[in-house]
Formats: sequence, C-alpha cells, structure tokens
Amino acid sequence: MSNVLVILEAVGDDLAAISRELLGKGRQLADALGGSLAALAIGPTTAVAARAGQFGADQVYTANAPALAQYTTDGYVAAAMAAVQACNPALILAGTSFQMRDFGAALATDLNAGLVVDATDLQVVDGAIRATRPSHGGNVINTYRFAAGKPVVALVRKQSFPEAAAQPDRSAPVTELAVANLTPRTEVQAVAPKAGAVNLTDAAIIVTGGRGLGNKDNYYRLIPPLAEALGGAYGASRAIVDDGWVPYEHQVGQTGKTVSPKLYIAAGVSGAIQHLAGMRTSRTIVAINKDPEAPIFRIATLGVVGDVNEILPLLTAEIKARLNR
Amino acid sequence: MHIVVCLKQVPRDNSVKIRPDLTIDAEGIEKIINLFDEYALEEGIRWNEQHGGKVTALSIGTSEWVEQLRRALAMGATDALLLSDPAFAQLDTIAAARVAAAAIRKLGDVDLVITGRNSTDDESGAFAPALARLLGWPQLTYVGKVLELQPGGTVKVERHLESVIETVACRLPAVMSVIKDINEPRYPSLLKIKRVAKVEPPVWTAADLGLSTADLTPAAQLAERVPPPPRPKGEMIDGPDAAAKVRKLVDKLLEYQVI
Repeated sequence: MSNVLVILEAVGDDLAAISRELLGKGRQLADALGGSLAALAIGPTTAVAARAGQFGADQVYTANAPALAQYTTDGYVAAAMAAVQACNPALILAGTSFQMRDFGAALATDLNAGLVVDATDLQVVDGAIRATRPSHGGNVINTYRFAAGKPVVALVRKQSFPEAAAQPDRSAPVTELAVANLTPRTEVQAVAPKAGAVNLTDAAIIVTGGRGLGNKDNYYRLIPPLAEALGGAYGASRAIVDDGWVPYEHQVGQTGKTVSPKLYIAAGVSGAIQHLAGMRTSRTIVAINKDPEAPIFRIATLGVVGDVNEILPLLTAEIKARLNR
Repeated sequence: MHIVVCLKQVPRDNSVKIRPDLTIDAEGIEKIINLFDEYALEEGIRWNEQHGGKVTALSIGTSEWVEQLRRALAMGATDALLLSDPAFAQLDTIAAARVAAAAIRKLGDVDLVITGRNSTDDESGAFAPALARLLGWPQLTYVGKVLELQPGGTVKVERHLESVIETVACRLPAVMSVIKDINEPRYPSLLKIKRVAKVEPPVWTAADLGLSTADLTPAAQLAERVPPPPRPKGEMIDGPDAAAKVRKLVDKLLEYQVI
C-alpha cells in the first residue's frame, strides 16, 4: 500500500487546474512512498482521462457506466471503490468542491480511512502521511499524522500546490473499470445553471465591498465595475448581505465563502474576525477604508485611508487607463 | 414523522487560542449553536409543523451543551437528546458521526436527519456524509430548498452547488445538510425560553450506545497545532490627495504583478 490515486475533474475539454495540482503533488508523494501514481476519471471526465499521463500519472482508470453521467454519491463512491481495489492506494487525493466534499467524506467512511478536508500541505515523513489543514477560520493550523496501514482520503484546497507541467512525450495506459449493478439511491432530476452564479473561490482577483460604501446603489455603482476592470469577481461582507444589498452567493467570511485569490481588495470593509477568516490567506490584500484604525489594515499588504466613494471611481479609471481596458 | 436535527455547539467567533497540550482554548468566547445547524433546526421545525410527529434536537457534548438544546426546544423542537461521555472529548468528525449514528439507530423510528453544511469551527462538512454512510442512508448535501417531503415516502430538494442547482430526490430515511439560504431561523419567545428553562434532556453515554474505544479513536494524531504565520508587514499608501494615492496604489499592484 504505497500508491497514490488522484480523482480527476474536468473543465470543458481539459483537466481542471486542481487536477494538475494534485497530479504534481501526487507524483512527489508517490515517489516518497515508493509507489506509483494512478488517476481515476469518472463519467464525463473520462474524455480528458488520457491527458493525466502527460501530467505524471503512471496508470489511468476510467469508470463510465450510464449511471455515472451525473454526480451521485453512490455512483462516485462505487467507481472510486473499483479503483481502490485495482491499485490499493495509501492516499487518495481530490479537490474541495461541494461535490468532492460530499464524495470524499463518504468514501473515507466506507473505507474506514483517515480523512482530511481542506488540506493545504501534504508530506511523507518516515513513511507516514502528514496533512496540514487550517481550522477556526484560519486561526489554527493543524498538522495530522496518519498511521500507516490505513488509507487516507485528502481533499486539497485549490491553489495549495503548483500545477504539474505537461510532458508531451509522456503517457499512461488507460484501463476501463467495471462498476457493476450500479443503482444510485439519489436521482438527479435536473441540473440548472445558477442565476448570477459567481465562483468566488476560483477567482484570481476579488473586489469586496462593505458597509463603508453607505448604500446598495453605491455598491453596484462602484464594486462590480472595478472587479470587471480587473477581470475579477465581486464579493460582499456579511453585514451588507444580511441587509439585503447583495445576494448570499457573494458573501466572503466564516459563514460565506473562503477565498484565497492573488489579489483581494476590501473596500469599506472594517475587517471583523469572521470576515478575515474567509480571506486572510489571499496573496496580496488591499484595504481601503476611511477609518485608519479599522482591523482590516492589520492584515493588509497595501492600505489606503480614504473615502471609498471618492477613491473607487478614480481607481477603476486608473486601472482601465494603465491596463488599456 | 420523526426528524432529528444534529446541532454542534461552537464559539461565536474563531479568536481561539491553542493550549500547550494542543487542545483548543475557546475560554471567554460565547458558545452558540453552529449557525448552519440553526437553519437545519428551523427547517426541521417547519416540516414538523406541517407533518406532526417529533423533531429531536441531538448534540454531542458536555452538560454545558444543555443550554443550546434548551434553546432548540424553545425554538420548537419537541425533544432533545444529549450524547455525553468523557470518551467523546476528542472525537474527529467521522467518530462523531459514529456516535450520532448509534444514537439514531437506538431511537429507531427516524425518517430524516438534518444538519448544517459544516460547523464554523472545524469547517470540514464531513459530518453529514459520514453519518449517512454509517446509517446506510442516502445523503443530500448543500440543500438550499426542500421541494417535497412525504412521510414514509420521498424527499426532493435543490442542492445549491458553486455554479449549478441540482434537483435531487431519494427515498426516506435520508440525511440532509443545509446551507444558509434555506430559511430564516425564528427567535424563541421569552415565554418559551422560560418554559424550557428547567428541562433536563436525556443523556446517553458510550455504554448506552454500545460504542467501543476503537469506534471513538481518531484516525490521525495531532502532530502540530500552531497559529497562522504572521502576514508580512503592510504598507500604507500616502499622498497629497486621493488621485495621487490611487496612482501610487496602481504602481504597487503592477510592481507586485497581481494585476
């Protein structure tokens, strides 16, 4: 039991960025364990299965029964169990999307395996797997040591590891797994795109507004245009979501989304501890607030003291001019 | 029908400290029902009002937890149950699910378990899936709307995922986890709070639940627990006026290669 198994995800016709991250890290960990790296593509993902070899997999499995056309817990767990039988992994890696959380915890329970959700680092120390994960809104960083002899399911937070580079001359055999007698107990009756969906957790740049903007009109006049000029998404503090300015979908923080973009601009956000919990690991944090004592400045990379209603229009115009947008 | 709502007690905010023995010190922070579990409770109460039967608030913890169970009763839960044992002190999520699963099996007549999408302290979201697998029931996670719930029949929900909404149905019994958008939890009236102030919910221990030490042992050992590394010291952008500050800010963003 020294192999590593990566559960692949696809975006359109390509491997998802998280899958390239997992293949890169999985390769390292498989080498450290003295095992090989396998990848599993389930249902529609099988279209990109063959690409996993270029990113480091030694063996690719596919599971393509009709019942796997859509995500169901039962279907995906059954497919993963077939792959586990085939390669007896010490470590199973997947992402942290809602579906992968639904799947990963179920798989770990069925396997009586160790489970780590939101892993930001994984290591092999003396042949044992160690996983690091934040909890308590990022105020506590936990490192767990798993005993050898039991598999570990690790769901990895996006952008925790560099993406593996493609090696065009590399490939891996693709083996179709039989998943027999599969009747998922949940029936997916419809899948509809979310109106105004924002995938904040995927955005590289996020502009967030808070109560300092004064009112809802100011939010929509100032925040989305700046986000658009930067090619980013827009977020909101809990206070203005609770006040009904902006849908919950946009909320960043303890009871909203946890994000870690390369640039996070907090405009008129004071920086309550619950808000910081959702964005403190962003690479560069810009805070704009008229109160120089606002807690947000304590974690900001760059701080501007001033009135957001004066600064934001200037900032949007300056960015458009400098980036020729 | 019998609905069980699993509640976790959490600190109101996460400004916790780490003790030398690596346990979490939440001393001095108000204890509340995990926010997402409060939505689960509201949903359970609403369906109980429609279909009758029981809605049991269930929690794992010390006698200190009774206060949150009383709040659940004041909101409209018909029953409360505390699972308490010194052996439950350091459960990981899957072991906690084993404890809850044993209690739900012992209750015997449960049709639906509802809980929050995750706790705001541990944040893994693994409890509901683990519980469902241990019970051998289907799971419906990240539910933003319950479309139908037929006692003895099926449940049909909307799962609100990152960019899509799935409509999913399954037969009961089932386990469901809910998101914040699903409803608006009620505030218990003072009268109801007074009425339940002396209620002592039944307490079940590991022995009552037939749980062994192996069932309760975490799969991993804590090797290290530290506060996050401090962020590098920030820089305040100065200038004679807003336009000058903005120019300087954009210079910096270009220099850092983040735009």
